[in-house]
Amino acid sequence: MDYHSLNAMLNLYGPNGEIQFEKDREAAREYFLQHVNQNTVFFHSLKERLDYLVEKEYYEQAVLDEYSFEFIQKLNDFAYSKKFRFETFLGAFKYYTSYTLKTFDGKRYLERFEDRVVMTALGLARGDEQLALDLVEEIIAGRFQPATPTFLNTGKAQRGELVSCFLLRIEDNMESIARGINSALQLSKRGGGVALLLSNIRESGAPIKQIENQSSGIIPVMKLLEDSFSYANQLGARQGAGAVYLSAHHPDIMRFLDTKRENADEKIRIKTLSLGVVVPDITFELAKNNEDMYLFSPYDVEKVYGKPFGDVPLTENYRDMVNDARIKKTKINAREFFQTLAEIQFESGYPYIVFEDTVNAANPIKGRINMSNLCSEILQVNTPTTYHEDLSYNVIGKDISCNLGSLNIALTMDSPDFGKTVETAIRGLTSVSNQSHITSVRSIEDGNDKSHAIGLGQMNLHGYLARERVFYGSEEGVDFTNIYFYTVLFHALRASNTIAIERGEVFEGFADSKYASGEFFDKYTEQAWVPATEKVAGMFADSGVHIPTQDDWRELKASIQEHGIYNQNLQAVPPTGSISYINNSTASIHPIASKIEIRKEGKLGRVYYPAAFMTNDNLEYYQDAYEIGYEKVIDTYAAATQHVDQGLSLTLFFKDTATTRDINKAQIYAWKKGIKTIYYIRLRQMALEGTELDMCVSCTL
Amino acid sequence: MTLTDPVNSAKNDPAHAGKIKLVDHVNAINWNKIQDDKDLEVWNRLVNNFWLPEKVPLSNDIQSWNTLTPEEQQLTMRVFTGLTLLDTIQGTVGAVSLIPDSLTPHEEAVYTNIAFMESVHAKSYSSIFSTLCSTKEIDDAFRWSVENENLQKKASIVMEYYRGDSPLKRKVASTLLESFLFYSGFYLPMYWSSRAKLTNTADLIRLIIRDEAVHGYYIGYKFQRGLELVSEAEREDIKDYTFSLLYELYDNEVQYTQDLYDGVGLTEDVKKFLHYNANKALMNLGYEPMFPKSVTDVNPAILSALSPNADENHDFFSGSGSSYVIGKAVNTEDEDWDF
Repeated sequence: MDYHSLNAMLNLYGPNGEIQFEKDREAAREYFLQHVNQNTVFFHSLKERLDYLVEKEYYEQAVLDEYSFEFIQKLNDFAYSKKFRFETFLGAFKYYTSYTLKTFDGKRYLERFEDRVVMTALGLARGDEQLALDLVEEIIAGRFQPATPTFLNTGKAQRGELVSCFLLRIEDNMESIARGINSALQLSKRGGGVALLLSNIRESGAPIKQIENQSSGIIPVMKLLEDSFSYANQLGARQGAGAVYLSAHHPDIMRFLDTKRENADEKIRIKTLSLGVVVPDITFELAKNNEDMYLFSPYDVEKVYGKPFGDVPLTENYRDMVNDARIKKTKINAREFFQTLAEIQFESGYPYIVFEDTVNAANPIKGRINMSNLCSEILQVNTPTTYHEDLSYNVIGKDISCNLGSLNIALTMDSPDFGKTVETAIRGLTSVSNQSHITSVRSIEDGNDKSHAIGLGQMNLHGYLARERVFYGSEEGVDFTNIYFYTVLFHALRASNTIAIERGEVFEGFADSKYASGEFFDKYTEQAWVPATEKVAGMFADSGVHIPTQDDWRELKASIQEHGIYNQNLQAVPPTGSISYINNSTASIHPIASKIEIRKEGKLGRVYYPAAFMTNDNLEYYQDAYEIGYEKVIDTYAAATQHVDQGLSLTLFFKDTATTRDINKAQIYAWKKGIKTIYYIRLRQMALEGTELDMCVSCTL
Repeated sequence: MTLTDPVNSAKNDPAHAGKIKLVDHVNAINWNKIQDDKDLEVWNRLVNNFWLPEKVPLSNDIQSWNTLTPEEQQLTMRVFTGLTLLDTIQGTVGAVSLIPDSLTPHEEAVYTNIAFMESVHAKSYSSIFSTLCSTKEIDDAFRWSVENENLQKKASIVMEYYRGDSPLKRKVASTLLESFLFYSGFYLPMYWSSRAKLTNTADLIRLIIRDEAVHGYYIGYKFQRGLELVSEAEREDIKDYTFSLLYELYDNEVQYTQDLYDGVGLTEDVKKFLHYNANKALMNLGYEPMFPKSVTDVNPAILSALSPNADENHDFFSGSGSSYVIGKAVNTEDEDWDF
């Protein structure tokens, strides 16, 4: 039987009603026998292989030149000695389809998994042999997995950038809009997702050169951006993708949401661009009081406040703005706004939501956060760029880039040295920041050089909890999440502090941060963080993972206040689509979407993926997100959020019996619990009774 | 189209013009008084499932389309023209012809929804064509659909039964169309998507399958309710009729499948799929399966892809998925805003 059919049998119950895990392993085996092995180019020795790949311009000579051949041989032997095997068909299929180096005609494979890991480690370590060894050890063991752009591109001669993710401001002038579109093209060509802030752009009907009713508002800008993204993709490897963020109090907000309506007119319909709404606390208060919410003209606000609309804190200025006759305003009912939000989320999954005031209250860096990114986990400060009339730069502001990589929570808990695993990951990510120079967008390049921001993520939470026989979202599950993220934060800060000491360099703006003032550490030095349940205390004790004490924090605080930290931002928890398949993890810190996940994407088609560590004997611990319900998911995320400086991609899952009111309740609950952002809303519609497919695993409730 | 066109000729031919009769009188439908809960359940499901082809980013499939061989492209277009014809029949004649036979006023309303969505489906194929192919290719494919004997025969058989005078027989024909005849065509996009080709097109087809699954189920359900009202002898007669119609359609469908799929060597697999769906259609009508398990072992990759549940975890950046529905709007109350 061919490997696709074997893999599909995962989704069909076996004769005794059991899930046929062995069919998937057979599928992975057959995939190698029938396809991979026959299509892999064979080399007699490592030397022959490297010489060939460099000569034919597959590998970057400069990466290899940093090391002696003897060391590369040693590293290679070390990687192969670990006897890596893909646990699932999708893991192998995804790796060979999307990551491995192929001949230029795309027909034959030039790397095995071990080769990609070695090349990634060599590229990131930049001549540091110990770091190269550490990275191979962490990646091959599955504890650390760099994000797609890094793992896909490092060491290849023909490649895109190593950074995943970009966030750009657009200001209220044509130069900035045009630059924004140009930057979107340049950045998606180089491989990342791009998010743009639209809040500052004047609304439709606003005056241009004081003449009323001239501006077309933000929809045409969205159209231009959408077309730009579909034109540019990273050598066809990754589809260009973009998001736009808008303030809830921007006058075009309802038009913005309507672009995702099922029956939207073709002229305004937005198909592939992702939408996000920035919601301040005041909007919730207005809805609570069942008041109208005023929408303010960005054009007027900028004139009155002397800064762009997106940079004006709305909650504290709202009443003033309402009473200011110089600002043109319109109003909608606040509850209706939330209901519309939920309706659109039902129909399309969008928009994402950023809880603006929560985000800014938790931000240790001076400045204001007014947007997020394509996956709603990046939250950093930015500043505007201004242009001369010939489009050259006047003042180069600060835009945001972020490179990501995630730890496999289960394997990190199993790590012989938890702190070292975190530190190696932080060093790998920092190296990506140091190697990234996006010269085509100066505000990004400058921002990166100044901030060295990185985002360490996490995945396989549900897999780990189930393996340890803990229910996701239970008291113990939330307790573990809290202590785990607490411990990771400690080591991440410690690692960044160590790098600052080694290099004698801190991120720009450290002196103005809550790290320098010490305020950031109050909650860790003045309060003991210990497991609340015996089970979790036991899990840490059995794994030999030390939970940092208040004294540990005092010591770290002193060192950071003296030497600083190298990275402006350290953590961000992405949704981890592709890399969690390769890494045999459950995605991010979400509950699973299904015991057997149906994964569908452009390059793969429809493939089936079993949840990590699941067997026919522990199925009860694999409740899916729809069964678990939003409260437990939000509780889990809230526990993690308090220890993460940036954001966490939080998807909410609903059955199709839910109403817009249920979605609104979930939003309110999330906001109350201190969640920073909400990513997609996902809906599951079960087949009408009588039309379902019998024997199908993913069809059962 | 100038050649025989069973749909339009039925409408234009005065000999048949009187056969599709309208209801005699109309009462205002009171949705607050439901005789059969199934009507409301299905109505709600259909309304929630409303979609238009414009929502699927078909243009993301252009690259993938270009990787198909010319034979594969031609096959794909022929399959879709065949499906267009069936959806046209069902939209303009089939579902409409069921209206006068309705047992409840709400059933009439459901059929109008079914009819409309069938027209949306028919138009969807045109969206696929206009995105992926040239005008000449499209014209060629439509010409083929008019000239292919087996496809035309399939259409004629169904049209013949729709013109017949038995309400139950019309429902049988309709169910067989919805649950059986479409699937020789549906096989191909599912096959492509299991091989990572034309995945957005497959999404669109899965939306159609999602609808057809409900349509076939509902019409079959109404057939069974209707059957309860007739005599034992008549029931026997209807059953014989159903199986003989299915045999007739099956024989023709095998020929049609061979016409389409012999060139790419998939005929055997598609036939198993036909058996599987023939059984499914019979199940919808409340009859026992006709084909034994040994000939219904469909390729698991196709079977798994068929699931009408909308639960796949898709990558939002390359498609829109087939899982979103129009939600039920409910106001929030003061207690929800208690913070």
